[in-house]
Amino acid sequence: MPELIITKNLDVPGIDSLAVYQQYGGYTALAKALREYQPDALVEMMKVSGLRGRGGAGFPTGLKWSFLAKNNMPRYLCCNSDESEPGTCKDRVLMERMPHRLLEGVIITSYACHVQTAFIYVRGELTRAAEQVEKAVDEAYAAGLLGSNILGSDFSLDVIVHRGAGAYICGEESALMESLEGRRGYPRLKPPFPAVVGLYGGPTVINNCETLATVPAIVAGGAEWYASFGTEKSKGTRIFCLSGQVKNPGNYELPLGVPMRTLIYDEAYGGGILGDRELKAVIPGGSSTFILGADKIDTPLDYESIAAAGSMLGSGGVIVISDETCIVGAIARMSEFYRDESCGKCTPCREGTFWMTEILERLEHGHGEMRDIDLLLDICDNVSGKSFCPLGDAATSCITSGIRLFREEFEYHVTHGHCLTGPGSKQQAHETVQAVGSR
Amino acid sequence: MPEEKKDELIHLTIDGMPVEVPPGTLVWAAAQQAGIEIPIYCYHPKMPPLGACRMCFVEIEKVPKPPQTSCTTPVAEGMVVHTKTEKVLKARQGTLEFLLLNHPLDCPICDKAGECDLQDFTLRHGPGKTRFDLHKRHYQKPIPVSNDVLLDRERCILCQRCTRFSSEISMDNGLVMISRGFRMEVGTAPGHAFDSVFSGNTTEICPVGALTASTYRFKARPWELKHTPGVCNNCSVGCNARIDTRVDRVTRLMSRNNDAIDDGWLCNRGRWEFGYVNNPQRLRTPLIRRNGQLSAASWDEAISYIATRLKEIKAQHGAQAIAGIGSTRTTNEEAYLFQKLLRQVLGSNNVDHQHGYFPGPRDQLTGKPWMMTNSIVDIEQASHIVLIASDPYQRQPILNLRIKKALRKGARISIINAAETELDRLATLKLTVPEGASAGVAAKIMLKQVLKNPEVDLTGHEEIRTLLQREDQVIRAGEDLFGARMTTQLQALADELVGAQGAILLYDEMATLEPGNEDLAADLQAIAVLTGQIDRPGAGVGPLFEDANSLGARDMGLLPDSLPGYQALAEPGLDYNEILSNSQVKALLVMGANPARHVADGKLSSGLELLVVQDLLLSETAQQADVVLPAVSFAEKDGSMTNVDHHVQAIHRALRPLPGARADWEILTALARYLGAEWDYTHPGDILLEIAGQNPFYAGLTWEELGAQGVRSLEEQEAAHV
Ligand SMILES: Cc1cc2nc3c(=O)[nH]c(=O)nc-3n(C[C@H](O)[C@H](O)[C@H](O)COP(=O)(O)O)c2cc1C
Ligand code: SF4
Ligand code: SF4
Ligand code: SF4
Ligand code: FES
Repeated sequence: MPELIITKNLDVPGIDSLAVYQQYGGYTALAKALREYQPDALVEMMKVSGLRGRGGAGFPTGLKWSFLAKNNMPRYLCCNSDESEPGTCKDRVLMERMPHRLLEGVIITSYACHVQTAFIYVRGELTRAAEQVEKAVDEAYAAGLLGSNILGSDFSLDVIVHRGAGAYICGEESALMESLEGRRGYPRLKPPFPAVVGLYGGPTVINNCETLATVPAIVAGGAEWYASFGTEKSKGTRIFCLSGQVKNPGNYELPLGVPMRTLIYDEAYGGGILGDRELKAVIPGGSSTFILGADKIDTPLDYESIAAAGSMLGSGGVIVISDETCIVGAIARMSEFYRDESCGKCTPCREGTFWMTEILERLEHGHGEMRDIDLLLDICDNVSGKSFCPLGDAATSCITSGIRLFREEFEYHVTHGHCLTGPGSKQQAHETVQAVGSR
Repeated sequence: MPEEKKDELIHLTIDGMPVEVPPGTLVWAAAQQAGIEIPIYCYHPKMPPLGACRMCFVEIEKVPKPPQTSCTTPVAEGMVVHTKTEKVLKARQGTLEFLLLNHPLDCPICDKAGECDLQDFTLRHGPGKTRFDLHKRHYQKPIPVSNDVLLDRERCILCQRCTRFSSEISMDNGLVMISRGFRMEVGTAPGHAFDSVFSGNTTEICPVGALTASTYRFKARPWELKHTPGVCNNCSVGCNARIDTRVDRVTRLMSRNNDAIDDGWLCNRGRWEFGYVNNPQRLRTPLIRRNGQLSAASWDEAISYIATRLKEIKAQHGAQAIAGIGSTRTTNEEAYLFQKLLRQVLGSNNVDHQHGYFPGPRDQLTGKPWMMTNSIVDIEQASHIVLIASDPYQRQPILNLRIKKALRKGARISIINAAETELDRLATLKLTVPEGASAGVAAKIMLKQVLKNPEVDLTGHEEIRTLLQREDQVIRAGEDLFGARMTTQLQALADELVGAQGAILLYDEMATLEPGNEDLAADLQAIAVLTGQIDRPGAGVGPLFEDANSLGARDMGLLPDSLPGYQALAEPGLDYNEILSNSQVKALLVMGANPARHVADGKLSSGLELLVVQDLLLSETAQQADVVLPAVSFAEKDGSMTNVDHHVQAIHRALRPLPGARADWEILTALARYLGAEWDYTHPGDILLEIAGQNPFYAGLTWEELGAQGVRSLEEQEAAHV
């Protein structure tokens, strides 16, 4: 078992309380940061640690902090806990089980970035997580870890927990800020970037929940220590959310660069494909990333290797697809998600996701035409790179990669009116009919 | 200087064409300047870029991930832009195809057809056919979002122009987006109607036929309409409008952008209240009272009758028995001729019109005539705007949008009013004038505080202190009524004005007629002068006038105590109220006014031997007249009007004048000639020349010079004698 950093002590009973968290060394990193470091030194430390954002884009965290505009507007920190990417469930667990680790990261980051007001934006559906974070914030205020003159220093911070209202787009950083400000969750035009003009017009740092929860460990253990995990360019560990047709789905913290095969097949982790079926495909970083074929199973799970294999590490949501799944149905389902979650601001994504879903559904139900397949690819081309924000691009990833890898399954749906594999295939349908008939 | 300016320009090429534009210009606007059309839907030049419709694609060399949206990209030095590459054309076609997926294409019954951006851009940039073979999304056909505006959600392309107008320009969120993604639709907040007085603008900026005006639905095809540049006649702002007519009727008014005045918008009153022009009850023939009944007469008959009667009355009772009441909605030329007829031809100074109360033709302190000293654009630059007893939203609506623009730039708005106003919700300070108190006394409390402020230099204005001391009792009583808290707030506001970067104080002209407001105009003028909030950018003071030519009427000497150009008369004639109540008045000429509304029980003096009324309709006054002369509206004649910030603007004949009716200037000319005067004006331009020769505020103006956007003539100049 490799060393755990973010999920260390996650299973300790009662670690969600301040007392137990502190027994296990909680908030010592904060004390150290306040005592031993100037804010700029912490920014430098993050740069050296090589920590990259865990929200999706993998942007270097220290560099992001150093971009904050120097002006006289109030600065803000937003913790992005809107976690809604299909296949991703790590932030939720961190918040539910160890909210103080996140909070400690939020406080250190605020100190490093000269922030006096921080917001934790929690996905609306995550009721328990939000309650846990709220409770932690209350405890922290009571213990002098939040509010004025934290731990006797001259640093003061307020933390406000805000719950989303159920929109995937509000995980996009600028839409999150619009939503926080009380408006419709629409992404904003960039530039200006949040580091220059962000929340309420002030320079704003926005980081993912896991990113911020990693910060205390780096401060405690040192940048070099953290950088000793992972690969040359993808340093440290991250939580992989393993889901799909795998024996042991769940969150696994592993150093970056671990081979995908280890995560999926190792007994300590995935333990192999459900029902010992054949692996068909993997979506390595949440539903917005390109599908990889089974031949990519030995790709190391780091930013560069996954990019070279033709996808992205994204939010760390590794979705396993076995040969029991019809890819057309799976993609149709994902497409429905993007259709429903498109914010509607821009034409290609709003209308394109609608149209693509209509076509995929009719293919799935056996009413498609052969020309639909190339039409889908052309619609994807008119959406991807033409939309206002990355959601539009993301909506096309599974379709373009799915057709590229499994075109014959789409054609089979056109020619046969049902799935080539899985529960909707002829074989299965036949069995069902018999079962009904024999009654 | 011009050299320097040139250096500041950014150079780029668009489709191989060199273009020079100021920094910050958007690529779309630069292309527009070069005569290259880039189709847009969501972008509107009066609103910040949005980048939502994805229609305005271009390819910019050396920029990653082509294509880019030109409405969100500012120009850069040396930029090379292509608007017609394969990538661009494909992306645009893609967007159009998306927009047409669910579009009903009911062009034959769509009001927008013929001036629809979806039709036009599809023709020029779109795919010739669709690949969508599924069911279109359907919605209930138009649903009313207010009494005036209907929404057809099937036609809506969700460009968000209307909702952004509501949130960014009128700042009332009258229209909002509901739901998300492909279910997104325009609508109103639950239980609310889109009842903004600016709602009509959305029907104009909607690029398709999704928002339509109930007044115009199914009334015309756009290509049948004749467009004439005009000016709204409904309030003193003088918004520029395009008058669209079809077969002797006004069908609609559209905005005609004038950055200095309307900023491209019209209020609903301006846009839709032209019904009186088309009114079938319009007067079509002169009427003479015979045996107690008004009956039709020829023009010759009517005019000669009036001339004869006037001569008789003058001979019998003297010139002082003749009086005239002019209009605030007729042109400068007509107002000028009206007073000239009374003064020069008939020899009476008994001429006035209904207006607010101002002490004398000019303000004592500055020697300037009573008018707003700042321009409309200045409002945008103000740091403080104080609205005392004024409600532009109701009375000068488009000024409300200018004030909101100032607000967005950080101006602080203070409102002192007995009533609620629309701006209250956005104001930094709202003081509700209590029962029994007045805005006038609030102004006095402020003036008193200004006098106390050590930073205020009183040199040369000591008399203000003396004058105010006499009011001390009134002020104390006022302070009691306002109470300690509001009095302190008024005092704090007064102190704030002293150091303000730029403050503008505005009051409604008509509020000066209310009890307690007799000194409102003078006191506010004094506050502005003493705090230095006058005659510099973003500062000013003045009345918000009521009507389209209220200020012009004053300029033209439609006042008992001043000749055109505010030349004071030693012996003033009777004023408005006196004319209506003085039994010496035997003959009364009324042009475009309805004084019967301002006398008790609506009956004009029974001592009148001759009442002549020029009007469009048989008003309450006209019903009592001895002679009624049918006049024409602003849409049927040429002439000039002077708006609230002294823009002199031309109106043009958009319609054939109603048969049988005549322009007031023509009527006055005919009457003067019958009375023996040698008036030979053949066009209002001739009259304007005469005005320009005499009135120092109009010196040098010519009809041609007024052009499409008018001229703001503010400086009193040596009259160029003709
Ligand atoms: C459509 C969309 C949804 C997103 N959802 C999330 C999310 O749920 N959580 C998250 O942390 N980042 C999300 N992101 C990424 C954020 O925009 C942002 O990059 C991230 O919060 C930055 O934090 P990091 O640098 O720590 O990764 C989303 C981005 C897009 C385009
Ligand atoms: S791509 Fe456009 S419609 Fe889709 S989520 Fe982004 S802004 Fe909204
Ligand atoms: S109603 Fe018109 S202006 Fe409003 S979003 Fe729809 S198309 Fe655009
Ligand atoms: S603000 Fe006045 S001038 Fe402008 S459109 Fe409205 S009524 Fe007409
Ligand atoms: S006009 Fe540029 S994106 Fe709409």
